Amino acid sequence: MDVGKQDTVTGRITTGHEWNGIEELETPIPRVVFLFLGAAFVFALICWVLYPTWPLIWTYSKGLLGFDQRATVTRQVEQAAADRSVWTTQVMDKSYTEIEADPALMHLVTETGRTLFIDKCAACHGVNATGGTGFPDLAAKAWLWGGEPETIEETIRIGINSTNADTRTSQMLAFGRDGMLQSGQIADVVAYVRSLSGLAPAEGDAARIEAGKQVFADNCTACHGEDAKGNKDVGAPDLTDANWLYGSDVQAVFTTVYSGRQGHMPNWGAKLPPLDIKILTLYVHSLKKVAP
Amino acid sequence: MVRLVSGMTVTERQIALVVLLALSLIGLAMAAGGRGDPMGAQGFVVLVFSVGLAFAVMAGYYAPEPDESRLTRYYDDPTKVGIVLTVIWAVVGMAVGVWVASLLAWPELTFVDQAWASFGRLRPVHTSGVIFGFGGNALIATSFHVLQRTSRARLPDQFTPWFVLIGYNLFCIVAASGYLMGITQSKEYAEPEWYADIWLVIVWVVYFLLYLRTLARRKEPHIYVANWYYMAFILVVAVLHIVNNLAVPVSWGHAKSYSLFSGVQDAMTEWWYGHNAVAFFLTSGFLGMMYYYLPKRAGRPIFSYRLSIISFWGITFFYMWAGSHHLHYTALPQWVQTLGMSFSIMLLVPSWASAGNALATLNGAWHKVRDDAVLRFMMVAAVFYGLSTFEGSFMAIRPVNSLSHYTDWTVGHVHAGALGWVAMITFGSLYALVPWMWKRETMYSPKLIEVHFWLALAGTIVYVFAMWNSGIIQGLMWRTYNDGGTLAYSFLDSVEAMHPYYIARAFGGLLFLSGAVVCASNVWLTIRAAQRERRGETGTDVPIVAGAMQAGE
Amino acid sequence: MPEFFHRKIERNAIGFVLAIVGVASIGGFVEIAPLFTIHQTVEDAPDMRLYTPLELAGRNIYIREGCYACHSQMIRTLRDEVERYGPYSLAVESKYDHPMLWGSKRTGPDLARIGDKYSDAWHVRHMINPRDVVPESIMPRYGWLARNELRVDDLGEHLAAQRDVGVPYTQAMVDNATRDAYGQATPDSDAAAGVSERYGAATQVRAFDGDPSRVTEMDALVAYLQILGRLTEAPYKQQSTAAGE
Ligand code: HEC
Ligand code: HEC
Ligand code: HEC
Ligand code: HEM
Ligand code: HEM
Ligand SMILES: [Ca+2]
Ligand SMILES: [Ca+2]
Ligand SMILES: [Cu+2]
Repeated sequence: MDVGKQDTVTGRITTGHEWNGIEELETPIPRVVFLFLGAAFVFALICWVLYPTWPLIWTYSKGLLGFDQRATVTRQVEQAAADRSVWTTQVMDKSYTEIEADPALMHLVTETGRTLFIDKCAACHGVNATGGTGFPDLAAKAWLWGGEPETIEETIRIGINSTNADTRTSQMLAFGRDGMLQSGQIADVVAYVRSLSGLAPAEGDAARIEAGKQVFADNCTACHGEDAKGNKDVGAPDLTDANWLYGSDVQAVFTTVYSGRQGHMPNWGAKLPPLDIKILTLYVHSLKKVAP
Repeated sequence: MVRLVSGMTVTERQIALVVLLALSLIGLAMAAGGRGDPMGAQGFVVLVFSVGLAFAVMAGYYAPEPDESRLTRYYDDPTKVGIVLTVIWAVVGMAVGVWVASLLAWPELTFVDQAWASFGRLRPVHTSGVIFGFGGNALIATSFHVLQRTSRARLPDQFTPWFVLIGYNLFCIVAASGYLMGITQSKEYAEPEWYADIWLVIVWVVYFLLYLRTLARRKEPHIYVANWYYMAFILVVAVLHIVNNLAVPVSWGHAKSYSLFSGVQDAMTEWWYGHNAVAFFLTSGFLGMMYYYLPKRAGRPIFSYRLSIISFWGITFFYMWAGSHHLHYTALPQWVQTLGMSFSIMLLVPSWASAGNALATLNGAWHKVRDDAVLRFMMVAAVFYGLSTFEGSFMAIRPVNSLSHYTDWTVGHVHAGALGWVAMITFGSLYALVPWMWKRETMYSPKLIEVHFWLALAGTIVYVFAMWNSGIIQGLMWRTYNDGGTLAYSFLDSVEAMHPYYIARAFGGLLFLSGAVVCASNVWLTIRAAQRERRGETGTDVPIVAGAMQAGE
Repeated sequence: MPEFFHRKIERNAIGFVLAIVGVASIGGFVEIAPLFTIHQTVEDAPDMRLYTPLELAGRNIYIREGCYACHSQMIRTLRDEVERYGPYSLAVESKYDHPMLWGSKRTGPDLARIGDKYSDAWHVRHMINPRDVVPESIMPRYGWLARNELRVDDLGEHLAAQRDVGVPYTQAMVDNATRDAYGQATPDSDAAAGVSERYGAATQVRAFDGDPSRVTEMDALVAYLQILGRLTEAPYKQQSTAAGE
């Protein structure tokens, strides 16, 4: 049975078996297959000798190089930090004014700051730091807590209403929900507040503004000030400018006064080294106001 | 339907009804016991499926029994149904692929704010739909065909092959509908929950026994190489499946389970499974397919029997070590990574040996490759098989993987293998097989095969190039540094940079999907034409003559 | 002649089957079994804490929605990953993860250290519509999480199943699972105190979805996200704090 036939195309003999018409040739394995197999095996052997490879029940072979991925990356990260220290020590040592006066250093800082900002902060403040509903526009310079670099740094480090023990705390009271004001009074004060920044009054607002002024004087000046220009000690925003954290339409402002607000800014001191926080501060401080 | 049932003996019909009754009781129990849990809905799926089938069996229950002469013929009904299912799953699975690809390009495309329509739930419908639905049905259908022909023996009975095929599709339906309801174990390529996993074990054991029983009846002394691969596929997938799916359900009435292993051991088990699902499902099984249909279509002997031997054992041995290349630089101990890397490199040799064996088999038939789109499908498949295994071995090198891992490069590699190799060899084999099964000279339209070939090739190339580009760009952006030694790009920058490539990928996928639709229509038209012709004829199958050859086969 | 031998075994189906199983078993055995015996595989971290029932429920939602299809939870030992995401992940961090969620694709960023990075309110808005807070995002919306009431009645069974696979939940934890889930998301209720008692004083007890009157799936998911990377201090202690970007 095992007698092969000769294949006319290749001249090779078949194995003599046939499965529903399929035959196989007795072609010897091409030498290159062994060559490659040998080469691959040698490569593997080298890996096995040099690197940790074989399990030995309670431990494993460590390899001649004593290589360990964790040690390697730790070294690389440390080395990289050391390489950067040419300029990072300057950032740490110099004052904000000094750094900002040094264009070359500022270039490095903003380059780094951009990536850091987008990876850590853009989720809330946006890629261009222009914020969004509930998240302040950092390019607008309408600071809640103050725009001095030291103040910004402090805000980033401890956060606002964050889980940090030293956090800045700010709270817009829930005048409606907590029963301090009646709905009518709230509607009045909303009309008044909206008029402060020159917004077009909504229907029926004109009549409310006067009453609202009184409500404001009785309830709001403690935080937002007599002139409604805000108070940086408690993070109360300026209500006379065009910047609105939570929106300027009647519904939004009404909700603000009715239910209160308490924005949450995480504390980055626990997650970023002081250098990164300083870089971010410089980056935020350097932002130019974007045309609306 | 009646015709299919009439192929079974009355006893087999009774067994079928008993099994379906048992299944519907299980479905009922799941529906009742799983109230308030998605398990209940899965119970309904099982119930409707089995009751529906029971009606079909009953409709044919009183049809005349098949006579003894059937034993002189091969039993091809399950293969035929398997082919149809393969084509349906191909269209469904790939359509979902195009849809999820579009969602990544245009996330707002989701038309309803409903859980089932979201990316995370649809993605496994795609992966399982194409791998298990399309690939699995293709493997089962062709394995029945190849097994009988190369053993010169009929399947041992008429019930078991149906149990395997239908039972397997029940698994696929339960899995896919489960994903939409949020049922998943989250283990890639092993997402179905514990009850579906158990069911698959039962189906698989029956499949394995069916294989052995048929082999035991073979009239060929030697087992043909295609069957080595099909057997490796069945056996190793069983081992992988059982170990990786070990889990403790929350209760009998909960779909949810917690896997037995955790953390690093679970990760290694999962990727030992995941990688070898690629190896033994997407590679071994389809190599089995290739080793039959390619030489058959080319009319050439296998280039080298000895090469077949070393590539088979090389693949079977080396693959099982390579899974840890999915976990380079992770918390998996480094020694396992070294093993995974080195074995992945060695694996290239047997992989290329089998690709080379296939291509060299075409020596003396290259003119056919030029003229025959069916053979061209198979040739291109072998080329992509070589290409994706080379790429895989390359990506398994630790420093290369540090760039490619987590990126679209992996997705590109996957689809070079999945579209270029798995789907192409399947389509080629189907085009060869369908006319044989329905006793026609050719497919309804050879022209459409040509159209499909070019759509498939263009789609694959667009897809793979788009993903190579996006993957490498993504990987590089993540690790590019400024002069000052700090990261140059944010993660979000890389998300934005992917957009054009995601559009290109969706387009490439659409081309590939159109090809699959063309194939489905061609198969449909072929079957219809065959039925028309047969109505005019005697109505009997062509009997096997002593040599066990079928007309045109 | 090796092929002579092969001609023999290819005539014997059972022999062939055994040969395949034998040849194919070696690799997996050598790579997996020692992971259970070599002690260094999983680091020691005595402060490693368990998921609370609410966090576990959130983790199950993370699985259910397929977040792992886009997000990894495994920071590799590579410089750029450590500099972007924080200390590389340790094996011990996922030792109670049945199954692990390391992921294989980063369509979105790694989440291994997302805990406490953002506020609850941000997560809620982001989950309801990612493009509301991140216009460039391609992440899907998950609005139903805020609408769906969380199923809590069966959490005891979940904890018991977890205990069966080796997570050291105490009987008190199992018995109080439902109550603890409610308490963790309802800070002003009587049930809140028991949570810190059983799971440690550092446990976050908040109305994660901003609405203390309901316990929603959003509560659970946000509670889970806020604990990621914070089950143990080990990675921060072991690695010289990620030396800045
Ligand atoms: C989870 C959302 C969130 C993230 C992330 C976030 N912030 Fe904020 N940030 C806020 C909110 C909310 C406020 C305003 C708090 C308030 O309403 O009082 C704020 C306020 C600030 C302020 C004070 C603005 C002022 O007017 O005084 C600065 C400065 C700031 N953020 C910088 C940053 C930087 C730098 C980062 C990244 C390291 C960052 N933020 C990340 C939410 C966030
Ligand atoms: C206890 C201090 C306090 C009092 C009293 C107070 N506010 Fe505020 N208010 C704040 C703080 C702090 C914020 C900023 C909240 C934040 O950033 O989350 C704020 C925010 C607002 C805003 C939102 C501004 C924007 O940009 O969206 C409005 C409007 C406002 N207050 C109006 C009022 C009115 C009207 C009253 C009196 C009825 C009042 N506030 C009383 C502290 C106070
Ligand atoms: C289609 C892919 C996709 C899916 C599915 C997905 N995400 Fe995202 N995710 C993203 C992308 C892209 C980003 C980055 C842009 C952004 O912040 O929205 C992101 C960002 C995030 C972030 C912020 C990470 C950071 O450090 O800024 C969190 C948290 C998150 N996703 C959680 C989830 C959860 C929870 C789920 C499942 C319920 C989920 N994601 C499903 C793609 C996805
Ligand atoms: C019409 C053609 C197809 C399209 C458009 C398509 C599209 C996609 C998309 C968009 C993804 C998700 C990628 C991501 O998460 O970034 C994916 C994943 C995947 N697809 Fe396809 N696909 C197609 C065909 C196939 C076929 C035929 C197969 C298999 C036979 C396949 C197997 C897979 C696998 C295994 C994954 C998971 C990859 C991973 O996790 O790395 N696909 N596909
Ligand atoms: C020599 C053969 C091969 C080797 C060494 C190999 C290697 C690899 C590597 C290194 C990865 C990336 C893992 C990661 O970084 O996450 C990968 C992923 C993948 N490969 Fe291959 N590959 C091979 C052949 C194939 C073939 C033929 C297919 C057929 C379709 C395939 C399908 C896949 C799939 C589906 C994934 C994605 C797994 C995931 O979900 O992450 N591979 N392969
Ligand atoms: Ca499973
Ligand atoms: Ca994957
Ligand atoms: Cu692999």
